[in-house]
Amino acid sequence: MITRETWRPARVVLRKELADGLRDRRTLLMALVFPLLGPLTLAVALHFASQTLQKVEREGITLPVAGREHAPNLIAFLGAEARIVPAPADPEAAVRAGDVDAVLVIPPEYGARLREGRPAPVRLVVDESRQQSAGVVAAVKALLAAWGRQAAAQRLVARGIHPSLVEPLAVETVDLATPESRAAIFLSILPYFVVMSMFMGGMAVAIDTTAGERERQSLEPLLVNPVPRSAFVVGKAAAAAAFSALALAETLAGFALLPALLPPERLGFAVRLGPGVLLRVLLVALPLLLLANALMALVAVRARSFRQAQTTISFLMLVPAIPGVLLALSPVKAHGWMLVTPFLAEQVIVSRLVRGEAVEPVAWLAAGGASLVAATLVLLLTVKLFESGRLLFDR
Amino acid sequence: MIVLEEVRKSFGPVEALRGVSFEVGNGQITGLLGPNGAGKTTALRTVYGVIAPDAGRVHVDGIDLATNRIEAQRRLGILPHAQGLYGRLTAREHVLYFAGLHGMARATAEARADSLVELLGMQEFADRRTEGFSQGQRVKVALARALVHDPHNVVLDEPTNGLDVAATRAVRALLSRLREEGRCVLFSSHVMQEVSALCDRVVVIARGQVVAEGTPDELRRATGKASLEDAFVAAIGSEEGLG
Repeated sequence: MITRETWRPARVVLRKELADGLRDRRTLLMALVFPLLGPLTLAVALHFASQTLQKVEREGITLPVAGREHAPNLIAFLGAEARIVPAPADPEAAVRAGDVDAVLVIPPEYGARLREGRPAPVRLVVDESRQQSAGVVAAVKALLAAWGRQAAAQRLVARGIHPSLVEPLAVETVDLATPESRAAIFLSILPYFVVMSMFMGGMAVAIDTTAGERERQSLEPLLVNPVPRSAFVVGKAAAAAAFSALALAETLAGFALLPALLPPERLGFAVRLGPGVLLRVLLVALPLLLLANALMALVAVRARSFRQAQTTISFLMLVPAIPGVLLALSPVKAHGWMLVTPFLAEQVIVSRLVRGEAVEPVAWLAAGGASLVAATLVLLLTVKLFESGRLLFDR
Repeated sequence: MIVLEEVRKSFGPVEALRGVSFEVGNGQITGLLGPNGAGKTTALRTVYGVIAPDAGRVHVDGIDLATNRIEAQRRLGILPHAQGLYGRLTAREHVLYFAGLHGMARATAEARADSLVELLGMQEFADRRTEGFSQGQRVKVALARALVHDPHNVVLDEPTNGLDVAATRAVRALLSRLREEGRCVLFSSHVMQEVSALCDRVVVIARGQVVAEGTPDELRRATGKASLEDAFVAAIGSEEGLG
């Protein structure tokens, strides 16, 4: 078990593992290159999202219309907001190919139906699954609805009825989304990358703890040294945690650079991830980082080879990432039990931090305490397994 | 001084050691001789503390491995069965790493590393990363790190296995030197010439038991054979597994 005698040799092991890890291309790749993927992915996603959102504002609405001669009034109304252009020969093919966002088709019977007071058919050809067209399609639908209301009102007035009689509800939408909370929809992916970077950063070193040592036949020479076995587990887990922390810090630094890469005037909303918020994210994540590395050490101590440990850890790190993905898809209200569930608690807190919400100290303490207790238990279990010589020789 | 008393060890249904007892004295080289699978490596592993016996005792300089593994290991220099190195560390860094684990001060460790590099003739590759080292170079690194704390007792598992003539001679010279310094040397082998050329005493082990013990001359006399090899075959009762 871990005693006072553990720490001095553990420092020796830590120093050696750090030197060794810094010379290992696989370790460096996973600790230094992978962490940038998160911020990069988010930057690219935000860039395309802002383009869709601003397309209508930037480019205005261009609406190809077929049969414009059948509905001069409607075309005049639409023409005030949109640029009306002739429709392509095959509207459906053009929309399907993404050449145009929408095509309005006005059939010949339009005029006659309208005069008779029956619903006049118009066809709006769109592809609802195309995100880039969503802004234009929504704007055209709104315009058509507005013209419809206007025509209906005129008919009612002609019959001596006040148009407000047929509008029993006056719906007024008050949008409470702050620029931060709109940005947070995108930033909700951040907790996921925070967790991933911890695992990826420490993985190579953690696996080396026993699976790697065993594979290259260096475990037995190591164990004949006159030190408590726990020193190897502690020293190596500490080294793995150091690389983990490096990866985590790099991920957060990448996110800190996002606002500079994507200014609000280009995004339509501000991505506010100040150093203060990110520093708090780091503080929340640190106890979890210890747990992540303790878990990887446990896997490595049981694995027969580097490859087997790597496969297991790849699955392992998906499990705690699941709540992060769920939180990204549908943010839930935090319940008490969530705040003492490692990985879940931290991701709830981090997602609240990036939304610019306050987090009560008790939530911090509960999450950090639960993760530290879990990390200690996992590490002690790893030491116990490591000390039982059974695992050291394949028999 | 290393003493084994009635050491037993089983792996599942396999009885690897069935009550092994022998003594290894100071100022002597003792060879542990036996066919493959006889239990040589398991016996040595109980001495250097990576396998705990099911029954029996192992003492190093009077210290019981079962109750004080760490103190016993301090007095042991060990070349274990597995001799893996860290490919990204240099030969010298291997020696310094083990010196650190033994709690040696940095300056002492560096001076000791220098003298081991010279003693083992490692000058040419001492500061190269061990990736791609020849078997001879690897064994020298493993020996240097095993001896870094100047141990009184030295245990080596097949130290000359896979070595060329020059490297084998270097290892034999080292063992002789350790004996002259009054140390207690125990090594395992299945190479007869090596054992007869080097050893003051021989312990023959077969099927997990000591079947014969003594100086090479005593063994030859006891079995009535002229060569040690014949004596060995007579002692183990078959030619099975003879290397």
